[in-house]
Amino acid sequence: MDETVAEFIKRTILKIPMTEMMTILKAWDFLPENQLQTVNFRQRKESLVQDLVLLCESKRASLRDAALLDIIYTQFHQHQKVWDVFQMSKEPGEDVDLFDMERFKSSFEKILRRALKNVTVSFRDAEENAVWIRIAWGTQYRKPNQYKPVYVVYYSQTPYAFTSFCHLKSNTPLLSQALTVASNHHKIVKMDLRSRYLDSLKAIVFKQYNQKFETHNSTMPLQETLELDMHMDSRIIHENKIEKERVQRVTQETFGDYPQPRLEFAQYKLETKFRSDFHGGILAERKEPLRCLIKFSSPHLLEALKSLAPAGK
Amino acid sequence: MEPATDPFVTPSTGLGSAALRQRPPSSGPTERPALLPGACRDEGGALSAAMFLYGGGAKHAGSDWFGFEGVDGGNSTLVCVSERRGVLAHLERLETQMSRSCKNLEDPPRETAESDLGTKIHKLRCLRDKLRAEVKQRQARIKASTANAEPDQTLEISEQEAVGGKEENMKAILQAYRFTGLSGKRTSRGVCVCISTAFEGNLLDSYFVDLVIQKPLRIHHHSVPVFIPLEEISAKYLQTNIQHFLFCLCEYLNAYAGRKYQADQLQRDFAAFLAGPLQRNSLCNLLSFTYKVEPQGRSFPFCARLLYKDLTTTLPTDVTITYQGTDASSTSWEEQRASHENLFFTKPLYQVFTSFARNGERLDMSLVS
Repeated sequence: MDETVAEFIKRTILKIPMTEMMTILKAWDFLPENQLQTVNFRQRKESLVQDLVLLCESKRASLRDAALLDIIYTQFHQHQKVWDVFQMSKEPGEDVDLFDMERFKSSFEKILRRALKNVTVSFRDAEENAVWIRIAWGTQYRKPNQYKPVYVVYYSQTPYAFTSFCHLKSNTPLLSQALTVASNHHKIVKMDLRSRYLDSLKAIVFKQYNQKFETHNSTMPLQETLELDMHMDSRIIHENKIEKERVQRVTQETFGDYPQPRLEFAQYKLETKFRSDFHGGILAERKEPLRCLIKFSSPHLLEALKSLAPAGK
Repeated sequence: MEPATDPFVTPSTGLGSAALRQRPPSSGPTERPALLPGACRDEGGALSAAMFLYGGGAKHAGSDWFGFEGVDGGNSTLVCVSERRGVLAHLERLETQMSRSCKNLEDPPRETAESDLGTKIHKLRCLRDKLRAEVKQRQARIKASTANAEPDQTLEISEQEAVGGKEENMKAILQAYRFTGLSGKRTSRGVCVCISTAFEGNLLDSYFVDLVIQKPLRIHHHSVPVFIPLEEISAKYLQTNIQHFLFCLCEYLNAYAGRKYQADQLQRDFAAFLAGPLQRNSLCNLLSFTYKVEPQGRSFPFCARLLYKDLTTTLPTDVTITYQGTDASSTSWEEQRASHENLFFTKPLYQVFTSFARNGERLDMSLVS
């Protein structure tokens, strides 16, 4: 086994916290169960890692296996990366998309290799017909840097792809091209959406939030929860109760019952005129509108906004 | 300098105009405080506390002292000495003076207000008694007229029950409507349409489209998966022919649900026949797998590739079966291959594999007998 591969595997296993070690190794499925049982998992981490690396060497782990382990680690620690969203589009009136995962993978890799010989591309299938792609970039003269890979998550037959933040911006056009062509699209743009939470991005972009719909089958637990809240404060009189109920109802209609996708900041460009009662203020009576940038930030922005209205009054 | 409209100073309704002059303190800020509105006298003769001491600005409060002289007759003076410093102390003094003055002013108006309320209460009480009497009268009349109408009451009750039963029935029918595949409920904005998919008698997932009835008609939110071409369908039909829009969407969703159900079932119930993983995609319109006719696996596997180019159908449009055995040229395998292709074209997946299983059984039976 190559020394660089051994070092890479060692560093990857060192990153894994002890609580997840068994789970990740099982998901990797490279070291068989019986061999794993011969290892003492209670020893210090450094010695454990050494034992595991020796086992991998005996099984002749390749770069491909090491890359797969890296993908699995990242899948377990998605929040450590910042994810961007790309949106692809097709020409209207195209044929039905017969997406073949194997064809996509080979096409994607071929496009990258044609442009750049020194690149490592690895794939791992995920649930819901998605694929995780790991790309380690090199240059014309240098081997790929395995410690700064880019990850792409693509759900088949959708126009969206999620990529982890890439320090080397120069390779982004190539990556975009490979994605577009391999998935039978024509254009690709980067969306103004970024988060650490892949699930939230997925929920926003696939419109999977706010899944409450009115049907004849649904019961009305809403009224009951409201009544419970009201009993808590006997000073709330009838008129206030009606107002509170209305606020709750509107909040629920807007946000839905389920947990919100997790956004950490939202930025808006605002163009407006200043309205003031004082004459002669600095900001009033300007011909040109004011342009400003408003930024909301919070550990969990949408939940915070959702709790604003009921918290008032 | 005119008196500033200051929130701490209430205008006093003066009976006379008295100018207030302020004596500057011996030690303090050099700025001259403004003149204040005049004092007034009440009936009692004592100088009322409707004067307020305020020196120029809040920052001076508590550090000045003033002397006043009543200009119109009488030598009543009021000397207020602010010995305690600080804004809060000053505000306290203002408050006590205010309450004192209010008490003096309110007494006469209070009495009139009280008597007004008293008469109002009396009037309302009379009205209440009158209405109570009237209600009692009517109840008595009704009792008298229905004294001998007991069976009518029971009739009423059974009518109520019948209506209640009908309501329950209606609710059940509305709930059961989803079995038709397309149902809806009125919302405050428009209508929420529920598309319940099914395949061969199995009820599958439901998808919702919440429509807002406005010009133009628009979709508020929906639970249709992202790979179903909802935008295309709504661009074509939503504004012009909503019925067609719904039926078209129904077609797509039912076909997708059917294909997904077949693929899931193949992976779950006929895993023994599969020699490798089932390759599929989000729309389940491309399936690629290797299968054997007998689970025991003495024979070589077949490779199947099913394409569903028409997204509104649950049967493939293209079927390619290849045989990878060594005796590929033998006619029996060729026949099998052709018959398999035909099966995949015409029957859903589970039926194809059930027939494989049955053929296998028949084969075994023929071997035994």
